Amino acid sequence: MAGAQTHRLGNGGLVDRSAPLNFRFDGKAFSGFQGDTLASALIANGVKLVGRSFKYHRPRGILTSGSEEPNALVELRTGARREPNTKATTAELYDGLEAASQNRWPSLRHDVMSVNQLFAPIFVAGFYYKTFMWPAKFWEAIYEPAIRRAAGLGRAAGVADPDHYDKAWAHCDVLIAGSGPTGLAAALAAGRSGARVILCEEDFTLGGRLLSDGGTIDGVPAAEWLSRTLAELADMPDVRIMTRTTLFGVYDGGTYGAIERVNDHLPSPPQHQVRQRLWRIVAKRCVVAAGAIERPIVFAGNDTPGVMMASAIRTYVARYAATPAKRLALFTNNEDGWRTVETALGAGLQIAAVIDARPEISPAHRSLASKGGFPVLHGSVSGVDGGKDGVRKIAVSLTGGARAEVEADGLAVSGGWNPAVGLTSFHRGRPAWRDDISAFVPDGAPPGMVAAGAANGDFGLGACLSQGFAAGAAAARDTGHSGIVGTAPAADDEAFSLTPLWHVAGKGKAFVDYQHDVTASDIELAQREGFESVEHLKRYTTLGMATDQGKTSNVAGLAIMAAVSGRSIPETGTTIYRPPYVPVAIGAFAGHHRDETFHATRLTPSHHWAVEQGAVFVDTGLWKRAQWYPRAGEKDWLESVTREVKAVRSGVGFCDVSTLGKIDVHGPDAGAFLDRVYINTFSSLAVGKARYGLMLREDGIVYDDGTTSRLAEDHYFLTTTTAKAGLVMQHLEFCRQVLFPELDVQLTSVSDQWAQFSIAGPKTRDLLREIVDPSEDLSNEGFPFMGVREVALRGGLRARLFRISFSGEMAFEISVPARFGDAMARNLMLAGAPFGVTPYGTEALGVMRVEKGHIAGPELSGTTTAADLGLGKMMSTKKDYIGRVMAGREALVAPDRQVVVGIRPTDRTRRLRSGAHIIPKGQTPGPGNDQGYVTSVCFSPTLDQWIGLALVERGRERIGEIVHAHDPLRGEDYDVELCNPVFYDPDGGRQRG
Amino acid sequence: MVDFSWAPRSPLEKALVAGVHGARRIEADVSLTEIRNFDLVQLMARRGKGTDLAKAAKARFGVVPPDAPKVVQTPDATLIWSGPDQFFVLSKGGKHTVRTLAPALSGPASLSDQSHARVLISISGAKARTMLAKLSSIDLHPDAFPVGAAAATSMDHTSVTLWRGNDRTNGQAVFNVLVFATFAESLWHTMLDSGAEYGVAISHSENLA
Amino acid sequence: MRIVCPFCGERELGEFTYLGDTKPVRPEAGASEDEVFDYVYLRDNVAGDTSEYWYHGGGCRAWLKVTRNTLTHEISSIEPAAGAGAAKVDA
Repeated sequence: MAGAQTHRLGNGGLVDRSAPLNFRFDGKAFSGFQGDTLASALIANGVKLVGRSFKYHRPRGILTSGSEEPNALVELRTGARREPNTKATTAELYDGLEAASQNRWPSLRHDVMSVNQLFAPIFVAGFYYKTFMWPAKFWEAIYEPAIRRAAGLGRAAGVADPDHYDKAWAHCDVLIAGSGPTGLAAALAAGRSGARVILCEEDFTLGGRLLSDGGTIDGVPAAEWLSRTLAELADMPDVRIMTRTTLFGVYDGGTYGAIERVNDHLPSPPQHQVRQRLWRIVAKRCVVAAGAIERPIVFAGNDTPGVMMASAIRTYVARYAATPAKRLALFTNNEDGWRTVETALGAGLQIAAVIDARPEISPAHRSLASKGGFPVLHGSVSGVDGGKDGVRKIAVSLTGGARAEVEADGLAVSGGWNPAVGLTSFHRGRPAWRDDISAFVPDGAPPGMVAAGAANGDFGLGACLSQGFAAGAAAARDTGHSGIVGTAPAADDEAFSLTPLWHVAGKGKAFVDYQHDVTASDIELAQREGFESVEHLKRYTTLGMATDQGKTSNVAGLAIMAAVSGRSIPETGTTIYRPPYVPVAIGAFAGHHRDETFHATRLTPSHHWAVEQGAVFVDTGLWKRAQWYPRAGEKDWLESVTREVKAVRSGVGFCDVSTLGKIDVHGPDAGAFLDRVYINTFSSLAVGKARYGLMLREDGIVYDDGTTSRLAEDHYFLTTTTAKAGLVMQHLEFCRQVLFPELDVQLTSVSDQWAQFSIAGPKTRDLLREIVDPSEDLSNEGFPFMGVREVALRGGLRARLFRISFSGEMAFEISVPARFGDAMARNLMLAGAPFGVTPYGTEALGVMRVEKGHIAGPELSGTTTAADLGLGKMMSTKKDYIGRVMAGREALVAPDRQVVVGIRPTDRTRRLRSGAHIIPKGQTPGPGNDQGYVTSVCFSPTLDQWIGLALVERGRERIGEIVHAHDPLRGEDYDVELCNPVFYDPDGGRQRG
Repeated sequence: MVDFSWAPRSPLEKALVAGVHGARRIEADVSLTEIRNFDLVQLMARRGKGTDLAKAAKARFGVVPPDAPKVVQTPDATLIWSGPDQFFVLSKGGKHTVRTLAPALSGPASLSDQSHARVLISISGAKARTMLAKLSSIDLHPDAFPVGAAAATSMDHTSVTLWRGNDRTNGQAVFNVLVFATFAESLWHTMLDSGAEYGVAISHSENLA
Repeated sequence: MRIVCPFCGERELGEFTYLGDTKPVRPEAGASEDEVFDYVYLRDNVAGDTSEYWYHGGGCRAWLKVTRNTLTHEISSIEPAAGAGAAKVDA
C-alpha cells in the first residue's frame, strides 16, 4: 500500500485529487495524482534523494521543474521499454509507473562508488586523458570498460524497442514555440489574422509560467485569461495546438524538427498507436516564445538534495501543490527570487531566511520579511551542511565578512534568468550579451524567425504579452494575412533588479554542470592549463556535454572562465549551439523505417508465384529476387543451383529478369542520342534488332551495360543493369536536358510496365512453340540471333520476343505487360512441362554468366575500362561519346592494367572465393606484388569444378600461367591457373543455334 | 495442346484484403480503394512541340491538357500533369490507349504505355489528410491543394503522381495516387501502417472515381 | 532545405539529387585531353554563391540550375536546364 502524500497541500494546484495514481520508485510504492510529473509526485511524498551523480556518485535531488533538469534522471519503465536518463521533471505520472534511480549500487542510499568522492582531487578535468594514456592497448580492454561501469548514467534496455514511431509533415504560416503568455499572445494575433498557425508546447498543460506564477491579465486572474484564450484558439480551425511536443531543431528553408510524445504518458501505447512522432514542420515564419531558464549560483554544496531553483519551487507549490521543504531559505541575487517567498508564505511554508546578494532590497520586501518574521541576510551562501537526507544547515558569508548559519530543509536559489537562445542560434548564430539583465539574448535568428518575450530577454508579463502579440501579428502579415487582430492582452511588468553573481568562493565542491559533475575548480584548472577558449573548455571539462546540453550550466561556466581569465563574459563568448534542443529517440528519427520496413521493397511481377514455388529470396538493392528454388531432398543451396544450371544447359529453364531497368527512348534523334551515350553505335541498328551496349562515365570508366533494341525508326527500348536502373535514367536525363538539349529525344521509364522472362536452354524453341501462336516463325532464319519482334501468344495476348542470351544457351527473352507476368510464369510452367522446364533464380543465372565469361556488377566496379573488360574493340573511333577522351588517358590504356581473365584452381576439388588477391607464384604476398583480385566465382556444374573471373595485371597475356591466390580474410592460400574467361561454348555456337 | 489463360493480376492482389484494418471504429476514418484495370498513357511533347501537343490534345479530348500541376477532367478521361510538357491520359475500356491515341498525337508527342507500370490507389475519409501527412511532404491543406491539384512527388521515398479528385458527396476530399507497380505492395503496407490508428476500410474497384 | 522547382513548386530536399557546378561546359568533339580533363575534374571551391545542377528525380525529373550560397544555404535563383521539358533549343 502506498504511503501518504506527506508533502501535498490540502488544496490548490492543477492536480486532480479525484484521480489518484499509484507508482513505484526504486521498488517502493507511492501515490500521486493525475496532473503530476514523477518529480512532483516524489516531492509530494517527501522524497529528496533521487539519484547519484555521474562521476562522484554524490547524492542528488531534483533541481528544476522542466526539460533543463540535470539531476533527477531515472530509468523509466521496465523490460524492453526501460528508458534511461529520463527526466523525472517532465515524465508524466501514470498509474503503475515504475522508475528506478541510476548510477548506484547496491542501492541509492548505500552506493559503494560514492567512495569516488574521497578520491575527488584526482578526478579533475582531463582526468581520463591524463591517467589512462599508457599502455595504449589497455584502453579498450581494461580502462574503458572499468570507467564505463563506475561512471555513467542509466542502462539501456538491451533489447529491441517494442513500440512504434512515425514521422509526419506539417505546414503552416506561423509556427510558435511555447505556450506561455508570449506564445499564446502570438497565437491569438496570428490566428485572428487568418494565418495557419501551429503552436508547439513541450509540457502536457498549456500556459507556461502562468501555471506557476499567475498574475493579472486584462484585469482578470491569469488562469481565467488562460482558459478564455485557449477557448478562442480552439475555435480557430487553422490554429493547431500541439502539446507534449518539443521544437528541437531549425533547418534550412523554414523547416523545423519537433518531437511529439504521443503516448509517453501511458504505460504503453494503445493498440495501433505510436509512442512518439517526429514532425517536420514547414513554416513561413516562426515566433520563438520558449521563455527563459533560471540559472543556479555556484557555491559549495550547491548539489545537496533540497537545493532547488527558486522558480521550480514556485512551480511545485503552486502548480502541483507539493512542498519541497517545510522550512525554506532563499538565496537570490535578483528581485524575481522573492516571488518564491511570496508563493511559499501563501502556501503556509515557513521561511527560514532570505540571503540576498544585492546591496539593497525593496521596502516592500523588507516589510514582507518583518511580517513573515524571517531575517534578510545581505551576503552569499558559502556552504551547505546536509547529505542524502537533504539540506540541514546553510552557511552564509555576510557582506562585510561576518558569517551566519541558517537552519532550513530546503534552499531556493535564483541567479537570474537566461533566455532560451537555442532555437535562434541553431544556424551558427551567436547570442549577444545584455548587461542590464546579465544574460545572453538572441542576436538575429535564422530567416523567418523572431524571438519574443522572455526568450528575447524581456521577462515582464506585460512585455511578454505585448511582444508576443506584436510578433504574431507581424508574422501573419508577412505571410499575407491581414485580418483584424484587436488589441494585445495587457498586464503590468514586474520590477526587475539583479546584481550579477556566478560563483561564491568557499570550501567544498561547487558544481557548475551537475549532470557531468563539473565543478568551479575544474574550470579554473582548465584555464591554468591553457584551455581558455570556450570550445576547448567545453571539451576538456565536458561542461555542457551531457544530455541536458548545459541548459543550467553553460553560462555560469563561461562566466567563471571569464572571471579567472580576466576577460568579460561577451569576450569569452558562447559555444556553437546545435540541435537537438532536447534528446530525441533514434527510434523517432527512424520512424516506420525499421526491420522489414527499413526501406521500400520492390517485387517482381512473378513474386507471389515464386513464393508459392518455395523460392528463397535475396535482397538486391530494393528488390526481392528469387535466388533459387529448393526442391524436397536437396541438402543445400549448391545442390539446388547445380540442378537448375544443369536443367537449363540440357533442357529449358526460365528466370524473371524484370528487375532490369527499361527505358523507352523516343524521338527522331533517339539513335543520335544513343550514339553519344554508348561507346558503340546504335543509329545504324536495324529496326527489329537488339545490340549489346556499354556506357562510360565522362572520366572514361565503365558505367553500365545492357541490351538495347530498336522497335521503330524513332523508338528504342533500352535496358540497364538492375543495380543502376535509377542512376542511368538520371544520367540519360542529364544528357538529354543539359548536355545535348538540341536533340529531339524523350525518355520514359518502363521498368514497371513489362514483365520480362529469360527462357534458356536447348529446348527453348520447343517450349516457345507451345505458347507462341503457331503462325510465328521461331526458326533460326525466321528469328535470328539478336532479333526482336512482337508476337501473338496462344490465348490472345501479344508479347515482345527478344533473341538474346545471358546464359550462353539458345535463349529468348519474352516480355508481356506486367499484370500478365504472374500468368506468364504459370503458363511457362504449363507449356514447358513436357520438356522438364525448370524455374531458376539469380544464383543459377550468375553461375551461367560466369561460365560464359559475361561481366556483371563485380566487374563493373567503377575502376574498370572497356578494354579491361575485354570490350575495347566496341569503342567507336568514328563518333564522340561520353567518356571517349578520358578513356584514352595514359593510365587508362597502360599495358599493365588489371584486366578480366578466367581462373581455375590447380587442385580441381578446391573451392574458390571472391576477394582473394592474385600474387605471382613463389612470392610472399604483400602490397608490392598484389596483381589483382578474384571478382566472381561459382561452382560450375558444367565443368564440375569451381571457376572464377579475376582482374589481373596483363591477365590476357598470361593465359596458362599459374599464380597464387592469397585470401588473408579467410586464411586461405592456393594456386590458380589464369585462363580464357569464356569457359563455356567459347565460339558461341549454342546461343546462335 | 494446353489452353493458356491470361488473367491480369494486380500487384496488390495478395496484399489487399478487403475489410477493415487497424483500429475498429463505427466507421473507419481512412478508406483505401485500389482501382484496377485502367488504361494509362504517358504523352511527352517532342522538342519544341509543346504547343502543338496542346492543340492536338484539345482536338482529341476537347480540352486543353494541363500545363501546370493539375488534372483536367473530360467525360471519359482524366488528363494528369506529370512534368513539363508531359501528361498522363487515364481512362477505362480501351478508348484511350497508345494504339488509339497514336494517329492523332504521335506527331507532336512520344507515347508510352504505362497501364501496367502503375497501381492506382484512391484515399479518402475523415483522417485521409492526417494519414497522408505521414507519407507526403506536400501541403494538402484545402487552400494549398484544392480539387484538381496534382503533383509529381515522392511518398516514403517512392515516386508517385498524386492528385485531388472531386470531393465525395459527404464533402470528404479524395486523393488519388499512381505508384510504380513494383513498389505498390510496399507503399500499400506503409499506408496501412500509417492509417492503422484511424482504422482503414480497404476495398478495390473497377471504376475510376 | 526546400527547393522551389520551377515546374512543381516548393519541395523538400529529399526529392532532389545534387550533381555539382554548372560552370564547366562539356567541350565539343575534338577537344584536347587537357580541355576535357578540366571539364571533368577542375572545380572552384566557392564560399558564397554557386550555380549547381540539381535533379528533381523524386518529382518531375527536370534538371535545374540552382544558385545557392554555400555559406548560408540561401537559394537566390532556380531555373530549368536548357533542355527540360520540350523546350526548343537551337543546335
